[in-house]
Amino acid sequence: MPLDSSTYALAHLRVDGRRWKELRRIHGQMSTQAAADGSSYFEMGNTKIICTVLGPRQPTKSGGRDQSREAIIEVEIGVAGFSGMDRKKRSRNDKRTQEMQYTISSAFASTVFTSQYPHSTITIVLHVLSQDGALLAACINAATLALIDAGVPMQDYIAACTTGSTASYASNDEDADPLLDLNGMEELELPFLTMGTSGGEDKVNVLVMETRIQMPRLEAMVSVGLDGCKQVRNILDGIVREHGKKLLSSR
Amino acid sequence: MAITILAPAPAEAPRRTYHETDLDTYGEDEDEMEIDDLPSGHRRSTQVITPGQIVTDDPQWMRGHGTFAASDDASSAIRSTLAGTLQKTNKLLSVVPLRARYTPEIGDLVIGRIVEVQSRRWKVDVAAPLLANLLLSSINLPGGALRRRTSVDELNIRSFFGEGELLVAEVQSLFQDGSASLHTRSLKYGKLRNGHFMAVSGMGGGAGVVRSKRQIFTLQTARGGEVDVILGVNGYIWIAKHVEEKREEVGLNRLEETASQSMYSSQNDEISSETRREIARLAGCIRVLAEGSVKVEEDNLRRAYEASLELDEIEGEVRYLGGERGRNIVDMVLGG
Repeated sequence: MPLDSSTYALAHLRVDGRRWKELRRIHGQMSTQAAADGSSYFEMGNTKIICTVLGPRQPTKSGGRDQSREAIIEVEIGVAGFSGMDRKKRSRNDKRTQEMQYTISSAFASTVFTSQYPHSTITIVLHVLSQDGALLAACINAATLALIDAGVPMQDYIAACTTGSTASYASNDEDADPLLDLNGMEELELPFLTMGTSGGEDKVNVLVMETRIQMPRLEAMVSVGLDGCKQVRNILDGIVREHGKKLLSSR
Repeated sequence: MAITILAPAPAEAPRRTYHETDLDTYGEDEDEMEIDDLPSGHRRSTQVITPGQIVTDDPQWMRGHGTFAASDDASSAIRSTLAGTLQKTNKLLSVVPLRARYTPEIGDLVIGRIVEVQSRRWKVDVAAPLLANLLLSSINLPGGALRRRTSVDELNIRSFFGEGELLVAEVQSLFQDGSASLHTRSLKYGKLRNGHFMAVSGMGGGAGVVRSKRQIFTLQTARGGEVDVILGVNGYIWIAKHVEEKREEVGLNRLEETASQSMYSSQNDEISSETRREIARLAGCIRVLAEGSVKVEEDNLRRAYEASLELDEIEGEVRYLGGERGRNIVDMVLGG
């Protein structure tokens, strides 16, 4: 039974009691692992991610020395078997995981000043502990926090969130409302897109959509997404400032 | 039995909610005021600056480390690229990160580990973004004062330093890409043995090793004799048994020769269990300082060591310096 046609139309409340443009609870921590160059823990609702950043460092084991003038950003994502509703083991070269890795890597390549670190590599390692929607968005946010903790210079935060659209594919357009930050159950049923932007300038770094949708609905979804990313950015900024204040006061 | 009804505990204060009104105002609060008030020099602001934040849009300031000017920005505002604090040097504004990997500077005393041996140089891991170089020509060669290196030395390169061995060196110069070139042309520098290696996270963040007057010093421990401590600026630390150098018989010409005999040996001396225990205690003290966000430097380390001894006398000996005991030590160090 589709969610939208049943409950949402009656009270405009979603399955978890949110309105259409409300984010879930977001919680983040920085410097969670002392041994890493940078690390973070990020929760978006029930999606929980641990992220560590290693580097920038020069790879020592590789046979050929890379002579590139810019740092390479490597992303590794490990999805824990217990993270989803059913226990499923994702292999290392799962196509979905690979695509996420590529997306995150290219998103950060556009905002990190990679030219300051020639011939070196920045490795972002993400561990998904629990998934409940917005997996890619949570990964991007966690990686942003960890990169800031590692002191890697970047133009701006990349803040990400998802937006969906109510009403299923075939139904009429007037009833379609954009929804911000879908949870896992909504993601199964509704078309949605993931979006990541840099700061307040609305520069879109990531836009991924795997489902189909009618063109007229896209604009509303994108504008709600931009607004959601701004909110996420403010929350991330709050986390960084709080962490910084804590560090400075202990000095 | 009477039923008692407990008053409900107050709910946790909600996180700051972000209304739409403050969406457009982030990052641009009270920036210019602070720059003018900030004294020039090593003093930093107490306000945290985050990536993308506009530091100033006044064209009189110059961009330093940790800042950039967006190319598509007509206002030529200076923005931060790091989370950190502002530092002003005359007209130059730079952002000092809260925490970052070590970046080499000329004259730094560093501890490194050999990761690769090449035909005329070693590649050394100094916790920097790039591996450092140690040229065969910038070490003290054994057998005579300052002789030229020969092809025999090139063939015997592994007899000086092999893979995985530790050394203390100084940054001699920097290459274009920011990697360091090291030298060990002093009796202070060279191969490390008889001790314990540890790494505390790099600079910034309040913790870690800071550049100070003395990075190499000797501590007189309670039971284990003298112990040498080398604090590398890159966050690598070496704690070793103090070995007395035979100074008296070294003439000016034979200085290099006598030093070189023991200099490249990888054989540890006999270390008594008391000394080992004191080395472990010092390592524990350094770890406690790093975890408690206290600068790891000579004074603090001496104080932490004395505090740990004092606490052992009062509360009984505990081998593990961490948890409650660690916090007590940090309090005593900060208390003076």
